[in-house]
Amino acid sequence: MEEQNYQSIIEGIWPKLKKKHLYPEIPIPRIREATDPKQGEAEETEGVGLEMKEKQMTINGPFVSRMKDKMPEQRIIEALLDHGMTHYTFCPWDFHTHLMLYAEAKKVTGDKELAKQVANYFIDVIADTHCVRKRHTEIPELHRNLKKGTVEEVIAFLYQKIWGIDLGISPSKMNVKGHGDIVRRLARIPYLDRSRWGESIKKFARSLKPLLLEEQKETKGGKGERNPQGEHELNHYSNEEIDQGLRDYAKQTMALSEFKEVVDDFSDELKGAGYGMEGGMGRGQGNPIDADVLFYMKLAENYSIPLKKLPLNEKGSLHPHAHSPWEIGSPYQDVDIWTSFGKIMPGITQVWTKKEGKGRGRVEGSPDCLIAIDSSGSMINPRKSLSYAVLGAACATNAYLQNNSKVAVYNFSDAPMGGKDILDYTDRREDLYRVLCKYFGGGTALDLEDLMPLIQGRKNLDFFIITDMKITNLETLIGFFGQIQNRVTAVHIGDNPYAARFEKAVEKKKNISIYTVKRKEDIPHIVLGRIRDYFNPAHIKNS
Amino acid sequence: MKSATQQRKGFIRPPGRESRTVQDPFEEFKCFTAPSHDIPLDQIVQSTEAIMDRIRRGYEKLLEEEAKELVWMVQYNTIIKAYEVAEKYVRELDYTAEDIEDFCFALENTQKIPYLIPGPAGVYISALCNYAKEEEIVLKLSELKTEINLIGFRLPKGKRLMIDGDTGDFTGIGLEGGELVVEGNAKNWTGAGMRGGKILVKKNIGLHTGEWMMGGEIYVGGRVRGLGNIVEGKVYERDKLVYPGKARYPNLYY
Repeated sequence: MEEQNYQSIIEGIWPKLKKKHLYPEIPIPRIREATDPKQGEAEETEGVGLEMKEKQMTINGPFVSRMKDKMPEQRIIEALLDHGMTHYTFCPWDFHTHLMLYAEAKKVTGDKELAKQVANYFIDVIADTHCVRKRHTEIPELHRNLKKGTVEEVIAFLYQKIWGIDLGISPSKMNVKGHGDIVRRLARIPYLDRSRWGESIKKFARSLKPLLLEEQKETKGGKGERNPQGEHELNHYSNEEIDQGLRDYAKQTMALSEFKEVVDDFSDELKGAGYGMEGGMGRGQGNPIDADVLFYMKLAENYSIPLKKLPLNEKGSLHPHAHSPWEIGSPYQDVDIWTSFGKIMPGITQVWTKKEGKGRGRVEGSPDCLIAIDSSGSMINPRKSLSYAVLGAACATNAYLQNNSKVAVYNFSDAPMGGKDILDYTDRREDLYRVLCKYFGGGTALDLEDLMPLIQGRKNLDFFIITDMKITNLETLIGFFGQIQNRVTAVHIGDNPYAARFEKAVEKKKNISIYTVKRKEDIPHIVLGRIRDYFNPAHIKNS
Repeated sequence: MKSATQQRKGFIRPPGRESRTVQDPFEEFKCFTAPSHDIPLDQIVQSTEAIMDRIRRGYEKLLEEEAKELVWMVQYNTIIKAYEVAEKYVRELDYTAEDIEDFCFALENTQKIPYLIPGPAGVYISALCNYAKEEEIVLKLSELKTEINLIGFRLPKGKRLMIDGDTGDFTGIGLEGGELVVEGNAKNWTGAGMRGGKILVKKNIGLHTGEWMMGGEIYVGGRVRGLGNIVEGKVYERDKLVYPGKARYPNLYY
């Protein structure tokens, strides 16, 4: 009965709240009912007033009932919703910001749980302070009446100081154990300056760390009291937001180690979001997420390199042919909503695999591609630091896969001695990335016998090679390129005499385009399958 | 020429309507004003920024003076001269211990401060500590990537400076009766030329410890890598008196 009453309160104040927060795209909040089957869970969540999952805010009915003796229900609900909406409209705003704040906090605390706690407190302080400054809100009244632990008391005293509103914390309480000193430090942080959040959270973490350690000792490593304004977990974000956040974070940090650390710390949550599942990013259910592969996958999504189409004979338009599982990061346009039950979820959602029908005329299309990547000792180990070779090959892979072509990978170091890994033509992105990220670190030699089975019987095939050209049998490679008519995109990492020798040897071959990658900014300049006088039909005939 | 308001061919006006008016979808927001009001945080942040600007300007002036020396050599005269310049600017400032800590981090992170020269930076930070209002100053510098040299230079009697983190070379040189506590490690030449007071290094200490010290005490919680030529004073390693004691050869581990 009470829940119905709360729901009607929400419906009454919702238009006003939406207007106050400038109409964010958030669905009307719900009330969580008290009839929970699990007693333990009910007790655990009783102290939590608000839950946020994706964009759905849910007010905890029992929490409001427990608080209503202290302040009217409408004001409790309004305060909780103000807080929740500010998370969407100001801080953390998106998953990338959340990750960035967590990573900065981790640099100071050095501990995953402490860093998560610091980030949560910091996000709450910013959201509440923004709301108090910019809107008429009941948040201070809510804080006055909330049950507080040691850390919450210190934070409430901080609010008293920075908001100038009495929240019922006496200054004498802060004289113990240097709490006053902590608040003095915390009060100097420019919480509302978004551009300084990275530096601010470090300072916040430095100041709060002793208190959190103390609390951790008292609770003997337990999680302590739950946040009455809701925990900031990954289920706060939709799968698309997580995807975008990881992409932005990979691009911003450009550091494999940092990205890896964050992904490892959030691995449980990411698995929950579908990253560890078959058909998602991962490596099969229950297996750990390969952070290196995920890093290159997300980073490559930030770059788009053009792929020149090739006239293909006897090809018609695409038509849906069969179903295949949808994976995170795949485009949505081919999703079959009927067999996916209207859900976007790895493991359930299915996409139409399209097949080219028979037709007449010279329709343009993109052929399959064979990617040869050098993973010898002279190349950077992609699992230790950012490898432009892997990033470039990953971008090329993406370009071909997006054009419904298949890709084969030939990862070589000292191939005649067994230092190689070959993956046959496939459109499974994860498998391709796993082979691309493999590192042998030995000598550098190609074995043409390995390449032949991948080339033979394929009329149209593009060849993409990325290496530093310090190949022992470079002459063999040059000879091989001299014979084939396929479009070849050769990318060399950095300048060296071997690269110059290769360039000189193949300069007359119109089907070979050579690019140099010295910085990450060079990658988008690569054009796949470029033929220097492609638009001159006479040349095609002659060649 | 047709006028813009001229009715288009074939346009049928809805019955009962004389003219068609387009409604501005943002009309509702014309009278909307975000009820933003100042909170004490604004003032705190503003004044903190202003103080930081003044501290930064003082440091820049010190660097301008010191830039005349192409290579900044740590020599007694150079340090004295730099300290005198630093003192001149610092005396006029009104700041707290937290401002000093913020300045240490700003030296590393902010684009506004062009370069961190370990010598002048340490002298300037020491001057800031010596002229701070507080008797006890706590600097949480454990996340600082660079170890600051010369910190605690001429720390006067009655002052207690606690560094949470490691310090660089020349820590606490010329100490004048103050108490310097380093929670981490200190490098070489710690306590050189100190006249009185106490230095407590919780972890290890480098070479030339207490070189030409004239008085005071150095307590080391970890190991002392090497002692300097000590004139007078006491050095303890893990509560054990090592000077005056059996150590005869400076810089040789005993």
